[in-house]
Amino acid sequence: MDTNVGPDEMLIHLGPQHVAQPGPFRLNVKVKGETVQDSEVELGFIHKGIEKILESKTYLQGIPVVDRACYLAALSNEEAFVGSVERLVGIEPTERSQYIRVIVEELSRIQSHLLGYAEYASFLGFVSMFMYPIAVREKVLELLEMTTGARITHSYLRFGGVRDDLPEGFEAKCKETFEYVRKGVEEWGELMKTDMIYRERAVGIGVLTPDVASDLGVSGPPLRATGVDFDIRKDDSYLVYDDLDFKVCTETAGDIDARIWVRIAEIYESMYIIEQALDQIPSGPLFPENLPYDRRSPVMRVPEGEVFYRVEDPRGEMGFYMVSDGSDKPYRVKIRGPVYPTMQALPPLIKGTQLADVVAIAGSMDACTSEADR
Amino acid sequence: MIGDIMDAEKIIDSLTSKFPEAISDTNTESERRISAYADADNIVEICQYLKDELQFGHLCSETAVDLIQKNEIDVVYHIGSYDHPVVLTLKAKLSRDKPQIESVVPVYWNANWYERETYELFGVQYKNHPDLRNLVLPDELLGDWPLRKDYEGFPQNTAKNLV
Repeated sequence: MDTNVGPDEMLIHLGPQHVAQPGPFRLNVKVKGETVQDSEVELGFIHKGIEKILESKTYLQGIPVVDRACYLAALSNEEAFVGSVERLVGIEPTERSQYIRVIVEELSRIQSHLLGYAEYASFLGFVSMFMYPIAVREKVLELLEMTTGARITHSYLRFGGVRDDLPEGFEAKCKETFEYVRKGVEEWGELMKTDMIYRERAVGIGVLTPDVASDLGVSGPPLRATGVDFDIRKDDSYLVYDDLDFKVCTETAGDIDARIWVRIAEIYESMYIIEQALDQIPSGPLFPENLPYDRRSPVMRVPEGEVFYRVEDPRGEMGFYMVSDGSDKPYRVKIRGPVYPTMQALPPLIKGTQLADVVAIAGSMDACTSEADR
Repeated sequence: MIGDIMDAEKIIDSLTSKFPEAISDTNTESERRISAYADADNIVEICQYLKDELQFGHLCSETAVDLIQKNEIDVVYHIGSYDHPVVLTLKAKLSRDKPQIESVVPVYWNANWYERETYELFGVQYKNHPDLRNLVLPDELLGDWPLRKDYEGFPQNTAKNLV
């Protein structure tokens, strides 16, 4: 961005600390009057060097580290990491483990979308609306906690399976929780369809067209809101998603409102997937019999090779590129997070909009700075 | 939607017949994953061809791997598609002493940040990049190339304010 300002232009810095930001990043906006002329994103305030750290950790030690790339999507980060190692070694998780993974990952998607919705509502100025999804999300987190033992950073997946089986009474608690979630989401949905102030702020604002969205490389709900039905669970299927019946949720408008409706539809769809998975889940062991390593083995030598494995994160396409040189630590790990291209797409998206809409548009993209700043 | 083993091979065939000189070491790892080495000088043309003719419209990621023993840096492009599930891992070998390659930003817009990050972490110089400067690193770490294997400042320099 050219930082020279003309006679009636002004440069505004949003962040790195700002109440309406999911994490610290700086958005430099050049405005003329109230119209955004140009903008630029500055990153690096919480760069953790996770890719470098992973090179100095054994494979097992890597699991809690990738959790922290983005704590809202901890389970899908783990899935991408653990799945990459499994592909390098050639381990196939047992069917029961695969179903359990689907269940916890979909629960994680629900809680992430609920928080995304809550934050977005508060960015729009509905501050009390922040609290309602959080209350519902807490119930979903309880389900995750009773399964994995932690609310947000779980370290639950293992090479070839999962750490623990589903706890007793999980299915009944799921049923109870989902009723609660459905009731909540329906109520807010009604509000969003009818509230005129909300509609004025969200409909037709921050529009992405399918061509532009694919050109910018965004994935996940912002892309599906434009009508492109790209979902890794369908298009590059993994685990047992092929055996489950679900649809890819899309909208066509491509504006702020459409992105929120895609997330809401996905909350329903995820609950539907979990219900099916709980019906279909076979009994059996959690780990395959011919596991080449002990399941808690701190030292496991992974055969030489490389792999690119991607999964559908709550925010889009999460891929791991892993190179192994045959030692007990990865030679190189590249984390391809979904938020990185989404944040990169922010400047072209907010160009020409009103300054007051910038926060609403950024909020609707549901970015997670922590993951862009791995 | 295409996606069976034939199509992964069709893609490779199409690439090698179009660029017989520039494409080498092709490999069909599975029906959804193929890989190839590309000549560093032709990288933009190859990407343009992939995007226009073979529906590879989605750059998943771009990064580098430091192969210190061979004194090489491999620039790695993962190119996917919105229409088929095949992901192509395209690599270009660069000399470790002076890694330099043409930027693919004119073809894939979102390569911009990936190239900036690869530049600051590995020291790969991208020619004709619109805005090649550091993205996540502070200015004082620029030039250390922290993700190279011979970097010695980890964690002493990078975490000095934390411990």
